[in-house]
Amino acid sequence: MRLPRFLGKKRGNRRTGSQAWGSFGEALFYAALVAAGLAFAALLCAGGVDADTAGSPWARWWLWLFTLLIPGALLAFGGAGLARSIRAWGKSEERRAAAEGIGELFDTPGPDAAPAADLPGVPTCEDLVNSPGTILRYRLPLESPEGWTLLGIGLFAALWNTVLAVLAVNAGVDLWSGRVEWVLLALLVPFLAVGAGGAAVFVRRFVLATAVGTTQLEISDHPLLPGGRYDVLLAQGGAGALESLDLALEMEEVASFRQGTDTRTERVVVWRERVKEWKEVEIAPGVRFEAHVTITIPDDAMHSFATEHNAVRWRAVVCGRPERWPAFERVFPLVVCPGRIVSAAARAVEVPA
Amino acid sequence: MNVAEAGAAAAPVPAPRVGVQFDRPDRRYAAEQELAVRYDVAGIEPAAVRALERSVVWYTEGKGEEDLGVHRFERLEGAARLAEALPGGTIAVRLPASPLSYEGVVVKIRWCVRVRLFFASGRDFVSEHVFDLGTVPPARGAVERTA
Repeated sequence: MRLPRFLGKKRGNRRTGSQAWGSFGEALFYAALVAAGLAFAALLCAGGVDADTAGSPWARWWLWLFTLLIPGALLAFGGAGLARSIRAWGKSEERRAAAEGIGELFDTPGPDAAPAADLPGVPTCEDLVNSPGTILRYRLPLESPEGWTLLGIGLFAALWNTVLAVLAVNAGVDLWSGRVEWVLLALLVPFLAVGAGGAAVFVRRFVLATAVGTTQLEISDHPLLPGGRYDVLLAQGGAGALESLDLALEMEEVASFRQGTDTRTERVVVWRERVKEWKEVEIAPGVRFEAHVTITIPDDAMHSFATEHNAVRWRAVVCGRPERWPAFERVFPLVVCPGRIVSAAARAVEVPA
Repeated sequence: MNVAEAGAAAAPVPAPRVGVQFDRPDRRYAAEQELAVRYDVAGIEPAAVRALERSVVWYTEGKGEEDLGVHRFERLEGAARLAEALPGGTIAVRLPASPLSYEGVVVKIRWCVRVRLFFASGRDFVSEHVFDLGTVPPARGAVERTA
């Protein structure tokens, strides 16, 4: 039997390492976790729970639960990994993928099937068509990572300042009673700086997020098709003047990969078309700015695509430059399905060689 | 194109050659079109083959981790079934509407026909033959990049 090669090389699409040995090593690792979990559990059970320290039956029950938590986690993690390794042993990646039922999902669609539901790799747009528009058919949802960032900063500032308040009250009580805790007072200074900074960042972001006014985008149809033309309504609320407001259509590639223990995501905009730009926009209070435009998806456009680690995303991006505030960008996701109508390029393919 | 071989036995290494012939010489297919591929395996003794897998799959390439989708998968075991598939056979399937082949900047989608041979010695050998589904042009490059 050939010994395992620990330092494999990748030569083009071919790896010099043995897949069988790799799977064996992985199974061995999970088996070791299971063994460690069993040994740990056996030792703990043999030791038992001290009835005197445990107190009531309820307390004893909780103590047992905590005692068996670590061996239980080892057994669950190791057992699941071992079962996965055994199930995958000696099977090709195609067979594993087919066994997971992916093949069934990717069956050739029938002619009357709804778009996206039978299109492998194409994300569904159910979440994008469940809100009717005021003028056009659908109101597109806003993709808002800034909202979550704002919430995170707000939570951090609240928690930090709560801890700061508790420390400050303690320091105040000490001072009132004539004692000076210099360590506590010294600790309060950096805590106060961080607390004040967190609150200031939160307030600034909150004001920026709410000062400009909401942006709404409505579209005449969804999902979109290559070569299709769609009416879009852009509505910008708020009050004040904008130096410029523009609407663009973008296609973005997203790839996530592991780098060491981190999972990183790279985003690349590979296609962008400015639909329209408006200059010197005046928005009166209570009267939103509205503009109708038509967007066109190119004939040979790549469709939307989403899998576990890779994606091709379409989106409408609204960028504004208020006179008094920093510029803002608001993103509205779109789904482009592969064209059912045979495009000119596809017809060229169908011509017999 | 033969892309990989793996195994753990020290038995004489078979050197299979898998030739394929697509029904469209340019290997470009439209969505939902029929695909027919004729393959021929040479350089091995059919008796040395334990199983054969024929599949039509798509996978991603590029910066991200690989994602794989199986459109058609067939595993042939046993002398009677292998006799039908070796030394040559045909794979015929109606292709789906998506995902279309795509040559992006950090995301690429490839379609291929794979013929994988499992030998009695424990080794396996895979032969992969790429084709295009659809006619999406390659991405021109990055307009804006964030990580």
